[in-house]
Amino acid sequence: MDGTLTAGESHRIDSRRFEVEALPWLDDVYRFALSMTRDESDADDVVQETFLRAYRSWHTFEPGSECRKWLFTICRNVFLRLRERERRRVDYGGDDAQLEALASGQEIVGSIGEHTDILSHVDLAPALERAIGELPEVFRSAVVLVDVEGMAYNEAASVLGVPVGTIRSRLFRGRRLLQESLVMFARDAGLATRAACEV
Amino acid sequence: MFLTETEIVAMDCTDVVRQLWDYLDGELTDESMDAIRGHLAQCRQCYPQFDFERTFLEAVAATRREHPAPNMVRRKVLAKLRKAGLEV
Repeated sequence: MDGTLTAGESHRIDSRRFEVEALPWLDDVYRFALSMTRDESDADDVVQETFLRAYRSWHTFEPGSECRKWLFTICRNVFLRLRERERRRVDYGGDDAQLEALASGQEIVGSIGEHTDILSHVDLAPALERAIGELPEVFRSAVVLVDVEGMAYNEAASVLGVPVGTIRSRLFRGRRLLQESLVMFARDAGLATRAACEV
Repeated sequence: MFLTETEIVAMDCTDVVRQLWDYLDGELTDESMDAIRGHLAQCRQCYPQFDFERTFLEAVAATRREHPAPNMVRRKVLAKLRKAGLEV
């Protein structure tokens, strides 16, 4: 015995590692896929393709690195390919340079106290989930990865294949759009005065 | 280099507000985190904005629901992987 693994043994070990390290993230990958596709059938396709690609390129995964981030990156690429195939264009109303400029101009909004009270005391989860779903995809991905999945900016940047500054600007715009949606929701539901909504 | 208490309080409110999200996301240097924390502790103008943004981000994070992949998806994934050679 020279300690060398046979091809069969090596394959079984790889299978076991994939089962232990990658498959437990199936729910997370599904949630991320659903956040991008907003369609269960498309998410189903994206998840299947993601895991198939992950398995086929398992040899490129660095042991000890974060498997969830690796799977999310593959998932994002699968989604982009699917979207490209369907030729759905997403207009997010501005380029990243413009967003960087916007991000530098954050201002103190008025009637903050009333808004904070609404956020604290009203279950806004359904309205927020809907608002997140309605965000243009580039902003939604950044918000979902950082604000919902809890990734650091550099991790989200790695998944989306963009610079950290782009993540920052997309987050800024995405969060602002969410806040605007919530303010409108609060006003329409009679939860906030019109004056407080004029931000 | 550490900022003095006077320098922290003297930070421009606009600068503080501009960095609030980076602060809440823990994306600033230790020195900047300390400076903003110190400013917020003493600035009545900035604190409500900070409180609003923090509450907002907590509300967004709370939308994370466990969306388990439907069993059908799980079965399809496993079937595809087995076909590709995975031994599970």
